[in-house]
Amino acid sequence: MKRRNFIKSMMAVSAVAVTPVALMAKDEAKKKGPNDLTSEAAIKAITGGKEAKESDKIKLTVPEIAENGAVVPVKVEVDHPMEEENYVKAIHVLNTKNGNARCVDVMLTPANGKGYFATRVKLSSTQEVVALVELSDGTFIKASKSVKVTIGGCG
Amino acid sequence: MAEARKSMIKIKPKKYKTGDIVKVDFIVIHPMDTGLIKDKKTGEIKPAHYIDNITFSFDGKPFTTMKVWETVSTNPYFSVNFKVPGKGKITVDYTDNAGEKNSKSKKLKPKD
Repeated sequence: MKRRNFIKSMMAVSAVAVTPVALMAKDEAKKKGPNDLTSEAAIKAITGGKEAKESDKIKLTVPEIAENGAVVPVKVEVDHPMEEENYVKAIHVLNTKNGNARCVDVMLTPANGKGYFATRVKLSSTQEVVALVELSDGTFIKASKSVKVTIGGCG
Repeated sequence: MAEARKSMIKIKPKKYKTGDIVKVDFIVIHPMDTGLIKDKKTGEIKPAHYIDNITFSFDGKPFTTMKVWETVSTNPYFSVNFKVPGKGKITVDYTDNAGEKNSKSKKLKPKD
């Protein structure tokens, strides 16, 4: 009996000891970027599997050619009313080829008055910038534009 | 830890009335390290250090929240629109992944 208990306890200990090591190995493999995520996975996580339609309502302004990938201005304007029950709920700025596809998630309210957001992002190489917009009725629309990057800005 | 960062809120245009839609620009001096770049002096990889949450509020009532990742440029700039409801104060609270918390505020004085 003693030996059986001993073996059992040893197994338990080894199981406990192995898991953190395995987790650490996983972390090390991830070391390239702390929040790496592909754009498909990022879009799926935001929409929850719903389809996002291409729409003319979104005016996405990005430069055609960016000489410096570290500073790429992005401007998103959504032509949609901002009333109490019908407004632009969120603007997500995404890219397609960076390690981490997410840039900014902006949650808006009717107090904003207009669906507008502007920022500057880093792009590692020539790729597309995607604006994914969520409306208050739960539908998603998107627009994308490609940017030529001469010098990458992600290190 | 909580060193004061340089930040700035700009309201555009400068003259506005109650009910007008203005641009609220927020700029902060922050390295936004991606965790990929090597430090040139020591040769070690700099850990990721970026702003992760921003909240814009007017008189304590939040109107825009943002979730930010390291893919945003160094010394980031964020611009949103805001419909001026009257006199008050715009406050921007921001935190980064190292646990730094800061805030900046600016008074709104519509000219009627």
